Amino acid sequence: MEEKNFYLTKEGLERIKKEYQGLKNLKLSKTKGEIPKIWHSEDLNPEYLSFQEDLSFLETRMIELENILKNTELITAPPKEKQNIVNLGATVFVKVDGQTDEFTIVGTLEADPALGRISNESPVGRALLGHKTGDEVLVSSPIKTIYKIRKIKYRIS
Amino acid sequence: MKNLLNFLIEVGKLKGKERRGWIVHQIKKPETTAEHIFHLAILAWVLGKSKKLNSERVIKIALIHDLCEVYAPDLTPYDPLLPKDKKKIREVLEKWPRFTLALKIKKEKEKHKMETAALNKLTEKLPQNLKMEMRSLWREFEEGLTKEGRFVQQADKIANFLQGMDYWKKYGKIQHKLWMRWIKEIIDNPILLKFLKEIERKFY
Repeated sequence: MEEKNFYLTKEGLERIKKEYQGLKNLKLSKTKGEIPKIWHSEDLNPEYLSFQEDLSFLETRMIELENILKNTELITAPPKEKQNIVNLGATVFVKVDGQTDEFTIVGTLEADPALGRISNESPVGRALLGHKTGDEVLVSSPIKTIYKIRKIKYRIS
Repeated sequence: MKNLLNFLIEVGKLKGKERRGWIVHQIKKPETTAEHIFHLAILAWVLGKSKKLNSERVIKIALIHDLCEVYAPDLTPYDPLLPKDKKKIREVLEKWPRFTLALKIKKEKEKHKMETAALNKLTEKLPQNLKMEMRSLWREFEEGLTKEGRFVQQADKIANFLQGMDYWKKYGKIQHKLWMRWIKEIIDNPILLKFLKEIERKFY
């Protein structure tokens, strides 16, 4: 199992804990030979569907979640005097090639670029970290792009 | 058997469904959805090998990821901006489509709703186990529920990017600089980032 830290927001951590608890209950019912009621519904939580026929996959997923929970680092807002610096959890308002955009920098598990949540391990996410309002951040190779930071906000608790 | 046959006939339609993103870019004889699925399945399989992922799962997710397009529209990020006048489309393509957070959320919700309905319709009459497997694999991809799902999500973008670079070299109709910027915002998987570097070396 890959040993690395997983950065999660409070909401993200809650989701993982909930899924883990759900799988634990499912495994218990399976080993007891019970058919969980949730299987009768097609509208059930999607995570559980994958494990219907495959106990080994259920266990693999549980090990994965345990590893995440063991190595979680919670993303919290920095103290007020440091909120002018881009850190994990920051929402960064940028101007790039004449267009404006905003990104929230999160860990890989919560990244969803279509909704503006980019990973701290992506080239752009990594480049923005540590910069301040007004900075021009260069992301190069082979095309050079400059992200001008207009504003930084922390919407997390 | 009858339901499996009907399902396969419907899925076969993707062999002739040209991808709208390339049509918008005025690419002649563009890649079809089935061709994209084939390319992604191979790409995700060979690159996913070194990531200690479950290959069978990776390949199945890649195969299922766009099946909803049998009934759902093949949306492109440019859609809300496209003018009726075809001559003006070029101007729109010169900038990367960027939207407010509220619009991003609205677009994603609508897309998800349409695609879920389409996949449900397509798989409705399949045997229960197959139906459930397909629907859950698709949601693994859509919602990034498993590491395989998250890997194929990003591999899908890389496959699209690779095709875009290929068209750029052949026809010059792709705004490759914008594409390069976009891909660097969304890929964070170390293997795919390494592969991206290789694409850069090949095309620049």
